[in-house]
Amino acid sequence: MLKLKYKQFFLLPGLIVLVAIIIFPLLFTIRVSFSSWDVVKPGLDWFGGKNWGRLFEDMRFWESLARLSLMATGSVFIQYLVGFGLALLVWRNIILKRFIRVLFLVPMMTTPVIMSVIWRTILHESLGPANDIIRILGFEPLSWLSTGPMAMVSVILVEVWQWTPFMFLLLLAGLMSLPNEPYMAAAIDGAGPFRTFFSVTFPLMAPISIGAILIRLIEASKLMETVYVLTSGGPGTATETSSYYIYIRGLRDYQIGYAASLSLAYLVIMIISLTIIAKILTRKIAQD
Amino acid sequence: MALILEHIDIRVDDIAFLDDVSLTFKRGGLYTVLGRTLAGKTTLLRAIAGLQQPQKGTLTLNGKDYLHLPVWKRRVAMVYQQFINYPHLTVLANVAFPLRRAGVPAEEAKRRAMEVLDMVGLADFETRRPSALSGGQQQRVALARALVKRAEILLLDEPLVNLDYKLREQLREEFQNIFEGQDDAIVVYTTTEPAEAIQLGHELIIMDKGAVIQKGKPLAVFNAPATIRCAKIINDPPINIFDGAIENGAIQLQGSVLLPIPPHLAHLPQGTYCFGLRTSDLSLGGVIGSKVELSEISGSQTILHLSADIGAFILFEDGVSQHAIGSTVQVNLDSDRIYAFSPRGDLIAAPAITEN
Amino acid sequence: MKSLYLVLKYLAILLWSSFVALPFLWALTTSFKTSNGVTGGATYIPWLQYEPSLEGWKVLVRTGGQGINIVAPFISSAIVTLSASLISMVLGTLAAYGLSRFSYRLGFVKNSDITFFFIAQRIMPPIVLAIPFFLMLQFLGLLDTIPGLILVYVALLLPIATWVMVDFFNNVPPQIDEMALIDGCNPIGAFVRVILPNSLPGIMVGGLFCVMFGWNDFFFAFTLTFTKTQLLPVAVVALNSSVTPWWSLSASALVSVAPLVIIAFVVERFLSSGNMAGAIR
Repeated sequence: MLKLKYKQFFLLPGLIVLVAIIIFPLLFTIRVSFSSWDVVKPGLDWFGGKNWGRLFEDMRFWESLARLSLMATGSVFIQYLVGFGLALLVWRNIILKRFIRVLFLVPMMTTPVIMSVIWRTILHESLGPANDIIRILGFEPLSWLSTGPMAMVSVILVEVWQWTPFMFLLLLAGLMSLPNEPYMAAAIDGAGPFRTFFSVTFPLMAPISIGAILIRLIEASKLMETVYVLTSGGPGTATETSSYYIYIRGLRDYQIGYAASLSLAYLVIMIISLTIIAKILTRKIAQD
Repeated sequence: MALILEHIDIRVDDIAFLDDVSLTFKRGGLYTVLGRTLAGKTTLLRAIAGLQQPQKGTLTLNGKDYLHLPVWKRRVAMVYQQFINYPHLTVLANVAFPLRRAGVPAEEAKRRAMEVLDMVGLADFETRRPSALSGGQQQRVALARALVKRAEILLLDEPLVNLDYKLREQLREEFQNIFEGQDDAIVVYTTTEPAEAIQLGHELIIMDKGAVIQKGKPLAVFNAPATIRCAKIINDPPINIFDGAIENGAIQLQGSVLLPIPPHLAHLPQGTYCFGLRTSDLSLGGVIGSKVELSEISGSQTILHLSADIGAFILFEDGVSQHAIGSTVQVNLDSDRIYAFSPRGDLIAAPAITEN
Repeated sequence: MKSLYLVLKYLAILLWSSFVALPFLWALTTSFKTSNGVTGGATYIPWLQYEPSLEGWKVLVRTGGQGINIVAPFISSAIVTLSASLISMVLGTLAAYGLSRFSYRLGFVKNSDITFFFIAQRIMPPIVLAIPFFLMLQFLGLLDTIPGLILVYVALLLPIATWVMVDFFNNVPPQIDEMALIDGCNPIGAFVRVILPNSLPGIMVGGLFCVMFGWNDFFFAFTLTFTKTQLLPVAVVALNSSVTPWWSLSASALVSVAPLVIIAFVVERFLSSGNMAGAIR
């Protein structure tokens, strides 16, 4: 039918561009993962599954996945708590809402890497304001970037600063779209603020909460830039995430073949985990 | 010039939106399509406009195939029930839009648009945006835009349903005047209100569950509905139906109620029938005891929902009165106004036609 | 009890606001320092704790020698971001309109699958694409060039543009499109004359997101450029060594993030001033 010509005109250009720019590279990566391309031997040869075998025994890779899970889920969880808390505080108050919305928008708009550069100066153990303020308040200065666990905390801190506004905005929009009736009913039933929150607000916000958490988890699972600038994966490998490790292998050590297999394994694991998490969370709402 | 639909079928997932519909629309005709919600009226209009494609059937205009013509090449104008206007254009630009698309020069388009705006009573509104207008005004803009095209086919899909009562009455009158002037076009107007359908149209089409179940001159259809279904749709409130029989020279209804056989039913053989009686043809003060189930006040009348051995039915009472639920009233049936339908639902005999 | 709650509430908001403002204020004050404002420990208030100077800022526009040329990367970033955003918004809006209004069938794949395909690209970790993009650009001779970067950024931004616009179009009732068709527009005409003029809020949001993600990208700029072309985030991060003084570092950082912050304010203003009144009541 005539409509057909028009249908194609709209969708095809974008679809073709996307397929060309994403699918072909992906297929190419798969092919490369079966080669032994590196500095010494560039080019596509056939290396069989040896990269894949090496991957399974590569403890550094698996540890990086564990670290990534810890840092990503930790920071997303804190973002959710803080974001939700702020949204609740500001929700019913009209004046505050406009002012806060703009203020909180700002971190989201900034370039994460560049803010990490600034954070690095803030968290500098002897010259930075973080420890300075701590000292003024009478506490022991913290080793923000020089010990393993603290380094993780620093990364999470920067991520929370950067992305809580995103949670805040999504959850605030969700709160503002909630119907009024359940609240009137709760008020008539004499429910206090805590009861109201747990019985009314939280359940009603469940779908939006899950959506927001999933979106942030997807983005957080790519954690790399903050690590690169703040800690360079360190101290040692304390904050080395999978992306960072693959970057080292692929673009620093130039072991392209191996890095290709690493990236694909990483991609597959991410897709599976995120799908599982999504399924679990959505089933939870269905049950309630 | 005629628009002919033959055996049009539109089905989605086993639901028939249009079921073997065949209709002929003639130039200069004003057709009203009456039916309940989901009867297929909107689908019919959309099929004519080209917004929905039938799986089967043919559609021709003046003998030329219309079915495969894309929407923008059909010379059709449509007014929706939701007031559809282009929000980013002024009222004048809205009305001039179809003309400009057809290549009419700007000056002339403006002139013609102003003429039509004047015709619908919006002469001073041309620089306003639709969002600044009331519902009735928005619908007039939509109507003006439909009229300015001088299209061969003018379709209106329950255009007054989202307006308040007073406005509806006012616009209905204006419509009549406007439509009288549309001699060159085919006008198809859908509605769920029998009064509107009968008042406006030259020809009435009743649709139910996607099929055309009766068509004809409005009063003819009103006085002689082809089936019980038609009778229920064309009367508001729906016609009352009583199961019964003609036996031993009398009409026997349930609960041993007997009525004399009126002249127009005298020729009928014995047997079981469904008898129909309009709400206005029942009155209080007879011999049939009935229990009041519900009493509603509508304007200056009281609508009583009653139940008795003869069945459940509705009756109009003049004036406003209170009836307690559960109380008993005596009801009289005007047997001169009784319809007789076969048990399957087809009309067998109708009462003599009166002036209304 | 109520007043305690209020106090705590405003305290919480104050704390969070301070946390949000901290990096900006710190960078701002540090950008005016010179060595004695930094090496002795953290200082905050100009004139009281350190002598302010414009050195950190002057160095940004000085070329050669001591200068950090921030202007060239700024311009490169602007060109790449704006071009890629424009292309992505055009392709994405078209695709989104198609996905919203028509139904597509390629075998078993239908609309929701295609939309998901567009959106799912966000799951792709950049590292997975970095290697093939690198080799692809090298093959095309576009490594370390602006057109090469624009190509890659379109891949990045197209899913975002499509995602925003599909959502937007799904909330615009299709009756307006139908009215345009009835009034004599073919589907493309309907799209251009009727839908687009009424889609400004969506386009602004989509455009903003594209510009945001494009301007803020580090990874692809980092892996796909070396010396000839340099984008802003890469330039600033390159300064992140012990050689570059904190004051020029802070000044560069502020200059880099300023444009988006300003654009965000402008767009937010526009959106909340309320523009598109309903077409259908």
